[in-house]
Amino acid sequence: MPIETTLTARLGIQQPILSAPMAGIAGARLVAAVSEAGGFGILGCGYGDRTWVEQETAKLRACRAPFGIGFITWSLAKQPELLDIALAAKPRAIMLSFGDPKPFCSRIKRSGTLLICQVQTEEMAKEALDAGADILIAQGTEAGGHGASRTTLDIVPAVVDLAAGRVPVVAAGGLADGRGLAAMMMLGASGVLLGTRFYASIECDADDEAKQRICAATSGTTTRGVVFDFTRSIFWPAPFTLRSLTNDHVRRWTGREVELIQNLSAVSAEYAAAKAARNFDIAGVFAGEAVGLIHDVPHAAEIVDRITGEAEQILSGRRNSTTMAQAVAAR
Amino acid sequence: MWPDRRIIDLFKIEFPILLAPMAGAIDAELAIAVAQGGGLPSVPCALLAPEKAREQVNIVRQRVSAPINLNFFCHKAVEADPAREAIWRQRLAPYYRELGLDPAAPINSANRAPFNAAFCEVVEELKPEVVSFHFGLPDQNLLKRVKATGAIVMSSATIVREAIWLEEHGADVIIAQGAEAGGHRAMFLTDNIAEQPGTFALVPQVVDAVKVPVIAAGGIADGRGIAAAFALGAAGVQVGSAYLRCPESKVSALIRAALALASDDSTVITNVMTGRPARAVVNRAMREMGPVCPDAPAFPHSAAALAPLKLAAEKLGKVDFTSLWAGQAVRLGREMPAAEVTRALAGGALARMGKLAN
Repeated sequence: MPIETTLTARLGIQQPILSAPMAGIAGARLVAAVSEAGGFGILGCGYGDRTWVEQETAKLRACRAPFGIGFITWSLAKQPELLDIALAAKPRAIMLSFGDPKPFCSRIKRSGTLLICQVQTEEMAKEALDAGADILIAQGTEAGGHGASRTTLDIVPAVVDLAAGRVPVVAAGGLADGRGLAAMMMLGASGVLLGTRFYASIECDADDEAKQRICAATSGTTTRGVVFDFTRSIFWPAPFTLRSLTNDHVRRWTGREVELIQNLSAVSAEYAAAKAARNFDIAGVFAGEAVGLIHDVPHAAEIVDRITGEAEQILSGRRNSTTMAQAVAAR
Repeated sequence: MWPDRRIIDLFKIEFPILLAPMAGAIDAELAIAVAQGGGLPSVPCALLAPEKAREQVNIVRQRVSAPINLNFFCHKAVEADPAREAIWRQRLAPYYRELGLDPAAPINSANRAPFNAAFCEVVEELKPEVVSFHFGLPDQNLLKRVKATGAIVMSSATIVREAIWLEEHGADVIIAQGAEAGGHRAMFLTDNIAEQPGTFALVPQVVDAVKVPVIAAGGIADGRGIAAAFALGAAGVQVGSAYLRCPESKVSALIRAALALASDDSTVITNVMTGRPARAVVNRAMREMGPVCPDAPAFPHSAAALAPLKLAAEKLGKVDFTSLWAGQAVRLGREMPAAEVTRALAGGALARMGKLAN
């Protein structure tokens, strides 16, 4: 059964579940799978590889359900023409994260496309509302990949209060199951955006070994920092840092970032080699704190179904002391 | 209706809301008020001598017939290391001089004693319904004696591994303490602050890893946060910051003023104040030496040399060296009687859950 919220109405979708625009790995295959399952897939255009964007948006023309296309705002500012390629694919929404959305607003709006803005502070939420955002995503520090410092429990209700019903608020960061969706609806959000959970799906274009690392990881094995960005010579503006699984590379360089920069060419070469060799003790797996909730690599559609089924059970009050006790006894 | 009644039934309380045992900030007065509101009253003993702890429990028992949670620290006590003390005192010397204090004057040692035989006798004598520990569990002999009194034993986990350890070592209830929580991080199997998960990422993972009921703690200070914690599988919540500015708290006027000014991004995790990671509103000491400072002596010895500075600065109306323990929800703290806060929290949560069920 669909979970109807202001978000599902606004986007014209069945389930209030968005897949995150994970750079380069949230390709057309994942987007279509999530959207066709009733959720809302968002293409991860990342740092703007034009060929990739053209190729993946072309594939999305065949998608039968509404979908979105996501950009890193400060990166898009360097290649604004990519927005035209994206809009030509007729997405239901463009999602902008990490930077000032204003310069792109009128083009997005003129085309009749909705604008989704991801924010990490109240200040950014105000900026996005002023720019005309149709949907806000409040992202907590638990999220994998890039983000900032405030936690989901802290930032979601703060942005919900700020939006005051004018636009739907989606929660992101540390969520991976139906409990997370139900909890965020309790906080006043009208949907969730999930990255790491869809990373470990069949349709995600990530390395299988990286997906297995996510399945094996438990809570308390991710770190937020700048080591991978520095290593890849991608210098993000403050306050954004990156959360990843804690691997040998993170352990080696955290707290020694200046030294890393001093040895950048050697470290980058080593990193590139490790990546090519699929050695994830060094290559990064950009995952969030929900890793401990993820134990398998199913189809994206199954993820959408599981989450909505579980959330519905909780929201309707059908999960209670008795069912919890049964679940515990079954372990 | 509460979807999960395991904590309500186990503790025999009206609402599944626990008062966080905030040592130094609360005493019997606030505990009594929370009990009157239907929550579980807690008496923090970390800063008390055994006879004082006894006195506090007796005050609560005289006024309310509620179950009581007696809370203790159970860190491994380490002797002060003279070399590190010297470095620390040197680091603090400019502040001493600024406040007209002699940097070389003798100082009292820090006063946070771990749970020991003397405290255990207090537990055996008073038989509190719940005994909770911070930083793991005491050694098996002491724990056995505590359990023999019939007390429900509770302790906090900051990562899944700690939760599993606590269950294996005899905890009856586990508090999942997320990174948002104020005061000392309960961490005892890890010292990596950077890896501490947020409450809402941690709670469902702990729920999946253990069979005992899980209480969510950290950043929860209103009805919607409680409703959300239950959706994640928690059977109760522990609330601290929401009570800090209640009239019954013993937080000083100076600290109250500082807390009232705090916003959502005013707190950080620091080791400067006591030597152990703890979340507090940023003060001058944390800003200028931390928030994490390698020179801070091991817990609880950092606090010793800070104590004279705290006193002198407070006389001037400044909280430069005062521990302003608070969680990320500090701005949700309310200046209203704690019994009313408790009922408002419970009512808000129930309303939220009821609304979404329809």
